[in-house]
Amino acid sequence: MFFNSIAFAIFLPIVFFLYWFVFNKTKSTQNALLIIASYYFYSCWDWRFLFLLVFSTFLDYYTGIQIEKGKSEKSRKFWFWLSILINLGFLGIFKYYNFFAASFSDLVTSAGFKASPILLDVILPVGISFYTFHGLSYVIDIYYKRIKAEYNFVDYSLFVSYFPLLVAGPIERATHLLPQVKVKREFDFEKAKEGIYQIVWGLVKKVIIADTCATYANAIFDNYTAMNSFSLILGAIYFAFQIYGDFSGYSDIALGVSKLFGLDLLRNFNYPYFSRDIAEFWRRWHISLSSWFRDYLYIPLGGSKGGIWMKIRNTFIIFVVSGFWHGANWTYVAWGFINAVYFLPLLLYNSNRNNMDAIKLKFDFNSAKVLMSILYTFFLTCIAWIFFRAKTITDAVLYLKRIITNHNFSFQYLDNERYSYELLLMIGLFVLVEWNNRNKIEPISGKRSLLKLALAIVAIMAFGTFSDYKEFIYFQF
Amino acid sequence: MKKFLIYTAWIFVITVFIAVVLDGLYTYVFLQSKNRGKIETVFNSEAQKYDVIILGSSRANNHFVSQMFEDKGLKTFNYGMSGGHLFEASLLLKLMIERKYTIKNVILEADLNLSNDHEAEGISSLFLPYIHKSNVIKDHFSSQENFNELYYIPFYRYIKYDGKIGFRETYKIIKQDKTNALDNLGYYPLAKHKNGNMKNNIVNLNPLPHNKYYEEIKNICKANNINFIAVMTPMCENVKGMNYFDKVKKAYPEIYNYENVVAEDKYFSSCGHMTDAGARIFTARILKDFFKK
Repeated sequence: MFFNSIAFAIFLPIVFFLYWFVFNKTKSTQNALLIIASYYFYSCWDWRFLFLLVFSTFLDYYTGIQIEKGKSEKSRKFWFWLSILINLGFLGIFKYYNFFAASFSDLVTSAGFKASPILLDVILPVGISFYTFHGLSYVIDIYYKRIKAEYNFVDYSLFVSYFPLLVAGPIERATHLLPQVKVKREFDFEKAKEGIYQIVWGLVKKVIIADTCATYANAIFDNYTAMNSFSLILGAIYFAFQIYGDFSGYSDIALGVSKLFGLDLLRNFNYPYFSRDIAEFWRRWHISLSSWFRDYLYIPLGGSKGGIWMKIRNTFIIFVVSGFWHGANWTYVAWGFINAVYFLPLLLYNSNRNNMDAIKLKFDFNSAKVLMSILYTFFLTCIAWIFFRAKTITDAVLYLKRIITNHNFSFQYLDNERYSYELLLMIGLFVLVEWNNRNKIEPISGKRSLLKLALAIVAIMAFGTFSDYKEFIYFQF
Repeated sequence: MKKFLIYTAWIFVITVFIAVVLDGLYTYVFLQSKNRGKIETVFNSEAQKYDVIILGSSRANNHFVSQMFEDKGLKTFNYGMSGGHLFEASLLLKLMIERKYTIKNVILEADLNLSNDHEAEGISSLFLPYIHKSNVIKDHFSSQENFNELYYIPFYRYIKYDGKIGFRETYKIIKQDKTNALDNLGYYPLAKHKNGNMKNNIVNLNPLPHNKYYEEIKNICKANNINFIAVMTPMCENVKGMNYFDKVKKAYPEIYNYENVVAEDKYFSSCGHMTDAGARIFTARILKDFFKK
């Protein structure tokens, strides 16, 4: 069941009605309903993996309590590592086993030996990377005594499997979501209205920007050997907007839906393409994952305490691991590595926290410099996205090489029966709307919100891509 | 909560209103379309007189050279549609009859397309802008699974098939952009392709014993005194399961088998589609056999 499907359009009002009118007596009934709804939502993909979700929930719930109750450090450590190993074990088997088996076989073969890998015919359970990280952060926080273990299984289950964030995040923290599910929610009209705005803006991003860009980006990336320099540059830009529209659109819908139930989720995107350097980009892109890696990997590794080389080493580790988190393919690792390389000058010059303030533009030289730095950062992210999107690293390198060596900047007619340049106007408009509303969560709220909402609905209906439906990209992670 | 329910009710009303307005606008634009495709042209036309009408899929569209019929004094148009099935061919013929076309002969390409009787969405969607303007279209779609949504939910059809009848197509109609669908009297000539696939496997294909839309076309012709000629058209030599054409002949004895009239690969652009040269050989044979020309 996708957020932009008819099934979800039926599911959501039913759950909303039951939540506020039937199961609204206590927080326990509210939570129980949301869990049932979440399990139903998840089972719409594959009910068999529901057992995995329930097992993962129970594992972290139980080990969390055992860690807290543990009388000796040895016992606490035992339960902690048991949870970590089982969680990562599941992730390893379901997400990475085939990748490692095939890579090992390639390595052995290249050394002159014969090897045929034993590949498991397993399907990647939707959302496994997300709910595993939920559980991990919970257990780690208990182990380091940052939070208390949750003894109410229903409340804890809801924290792990709450349907708006179950399959593609944001990756929640127990410190943020658990206190909210522990109290009865009262209906808040303003919050619900904000939720509607966010849902509609998320749909604009998904069906107008992401899915339309996808048809062009696919036509270009899938035939890159026949494309000229101009089309290849456009292909990278289209993919940059596809993945932004797709993932931030999903996050917006998730946050909006959650507001309808009175629960606030962590903000996941903050207009990342308006970043002035790559460090700022990572403070604005997939915020819940970046901060997860910062808190649970970068800082435990020593963070920036051990001097510049330690800082560089740790930065490379979190980016490569973050790339690998996205999928079992070397292209993601390369994408992570490239982002770490982008970080290098900022670390060396100690300027990675330079652009923490809000962007303000005037008609002066400084503003021109800011605009140039935004464009330059976008250019860098587009290069990295080429590695993310390409099928192999070789494809990505050849794609880049062709941009430089082809020298042809004419308009091309693509396989999707459209000209390569056609989307630029729409992307330009989208950027303009986001730029003018960069200090708000979404552009619809504020003055004349009903009119803006109506315009957004018109735009979704008239300009959305529906027939060439694309699944949310982050479902595969 | 009451305020929120009223608010969402308002959004719902606004959404329905927008859908109705957009539906009306798009439909109005499609009603003006004249030079973009065969379906729009027929729908927006008035009574015509034809000696020969050609119907079928791309294997009709690329195989019958209309000009060769015209050269023999037969007013002809090739209404074959690439990607189309018999569902659409039948509906197009019904529309012509509704518009009081006078047709002497219908040549129907009936071979591979006899293996199914479902719609080809890419083509059938082009009829949908007119679903409220024509009972023929409405009735034809009424047996389809999603008829209720398509017919009763305003603008749904334009959203579902946005790639075919969405904003881009509407904009192109307004701009009066021409396509090549109506060039060469509907015939689309193919050139020899260096990398054309000269193999095909139709082993698993079987003609339906009673193809609903084939029978429909046959009956329409009978009811309107139109001479009905159904033919199987050529395929390249390297086809696995060539006995399919024998199976067609067995199930539908009235269909003429012209599959092997042109066989050499040099006359094919791909295995199922002849080049212009091949189409000319084939059309000459049809003219000789059925029109004594």
